[in-house]
Amino acid sequence: MKSKYKQRIFWGIILALIWQLTAVSGIFSKMIFPGLDQILTALFDSLKDGTLIKQIGFSLSVIAQGLFLATITALILSLTAYFSSYAAGLIDTLTALAHPLPGIALMPLILIWFGSGKTAILIVIIHSVLWPLILNLSTGFNSIPDIYTLIAKNYRLNKLEFMYKILIPASLPYFISGLKIAWARSWRALISAEMLFGAINSLGGLGWYIFQKRVFFDLPGVFAGIIVIILIGIAVEDFIFEKLEAKTVQKWGMLK
Amino acid sequence: MKKYLTIIIVLILTLLLVSGCENNEAGRQQKITIAEQYGLAYAPVQLIKELKFLEEANPNLEVEWKQLSNTTSIRESMLAGEVDIAFMAIPPFLIARDKGMEWKIISGLSESPLGLMTNRGDINSLADFKADAKIALPQPGSIQHILLSMAAEREFGEVDRFDEQLLTMSHPDAMNALLAGREVSAHFASAPYLFLESKEEGIKKILSGREAFGGDFTFIIGVSTEEFYEQQPKNYAYFLNALEKAIEFIDGQPEEIAEILADNYNLSQTEMLEYLNWPGMTFTSEIKGLNKFIDFMAAESYLEANNYQYSELVFEKNLAGSENISKEEAVQNEE
Repeated sequence: MKSKYKQRIFWGIILALIWQLTAVSGIFSKMIFPGLDQILTALFDSLKDGTLIKQIGFSLSVIAQGLFLATITALILSLTAYFSSYAAGLIDTLTALAHPLPGIALMPLILIWFGSGKTAILIVIIHSVLWPLILNLSTGFNSIPDIYTLIAKNYRLNKLEFMYKILIPASLPYFISGLKIAWARSWRALISAEMLFGAINSLGGLGWYIFQKRVFFDLPGVFAGIIVIILIGIAVEDFIFEKLEAKTVQKWGMLK
Repeated sequence: MKKYLTIIIVLILTLLLVSGCENNEAGRQQKITIAEQYGLAYAPVQLIKELKFLEEANPNLEVEWKQLSNTTSIRESMLAGEVDIAFMAIPPFLIARDKGMEWKIISGLSESPLGLMTNRGDINSLADFKADAKIALPQPGSIQHILLSMAAEREFGEVDRFDEQLLTMSHPDAMNALLAGREVSAHFASAPYLFLESKEEGIKKILSGREAFGGDFTFIIGVSTEEFYEQQPKNYAYFLNALEKAIEFIDGQPEEIAEILADNYNLSQTEMLEYLNWPGMTFTSEIKGLNKFIDFMAAESYLEANNYQYSELVFEKNLAGSENISKEEAVQNEE
């Protein structure tokens, strides 16, 4: 564990050094390659006046809502698919149809149907998250060794008990990796939706922040927004997902 | 440690390789890349393209026209060295100049009516806008946004009064939304969208660009990078001549122009002529209102500096005339 953080810090510093050296060397003009000092100043300036904090909060809350709704829906759909082969056919077809569609391609339709409010962004997030989650969950359910289901039959577990005691725990590694993918994809969906729709309420989120910095030609500000996204990504990966894995699949000996 | 060192060396080498490629772009001397945008105010540029003024002046010159959807992406491609000449409103030019982009104005291109159009019966002036009424405009920092801020500053003393109800939309999308009566309550439109909207029932203008600015101003200017100006003076001169010719042509023979450009704008010839002759639609190389934009934008901290010399903003070889003329105009505008 510790060496992982050490490595991360080490590589972080190396990358930052290379970045700064490139910026200082003047190979690229300052306008297209700002130094870390400029980027950090821009970041602190935005943090100081409070708007960036609110925008981060807004983005995170939209993502949390989208992920929650998508996870519930994905669980229901893939469980139905597991127990009924008719439903499985339908859900399989739906996934095959919708999974390759980028949310951005649906944007014009979503604009017409749901307007450009928060609902629209939620729909884009759910769309980009739901299908990979279903795929992962179904794979997880179907790759449970037969012996487990046979044990369930032996113990005469009913469907509900089977679900809670065997199906979900046994497919948890797939579920967690599905969640990781969902988390990353929800960010992509959110940022692109925000940059396309513009401010969706008085605030807007991080995507709007980056867009605003872009139209006002503030490249350090654009990078500041990107850095915030990276930091949030690392924090969630290291603190939430890793803890979740340590407490479940690692403890149970399903994952190294 | 050895492993790390190798990886670092590989990274640095890749970086050098990439930067090395950038410099290999020779032989651009005979090529000129111009960014075009859709809109009536860009008619002289369309004319240069349609009648091949540049190719006529120098048959060896390769002219590339790039269609880009908004000012921001034009600015970014100019920064990347992909576009030599572009056309836009004064505020987006000033914002990038202020941030250190090395470019200047070649010429004025057109003055054009702009208008804040609403589809709501209960809105008759800016004061009637409630917080839930959305106003569509191309993007923050665009001329429409600055004009709206100017009007808000004058009427209410709050420059950012409407900033929280803006929706970023392209003109065609905004017009559709306005006509459908959904999502947006108002659209800060330019020509020809302004003209199309003003013909629709139930849509009215509550603020004109002229009222917002408090005088006449140049809507679109031509800009180029200093790099292009210095390294390809001949091509720059060709372009300057072509532009002068196009502006003169469009001013003198609107009927003929309407015939040439109608297809280009997907309009009938009569419509095209009507729009070209619309009151307030003027094609001229003069630049009006530059100082007033600078003063306002600096005072409201859209710009950091406000002490620009005329020669820092406009190329020495230009169509707009010398500094004195522009100063006199600035005085007239103040009045």
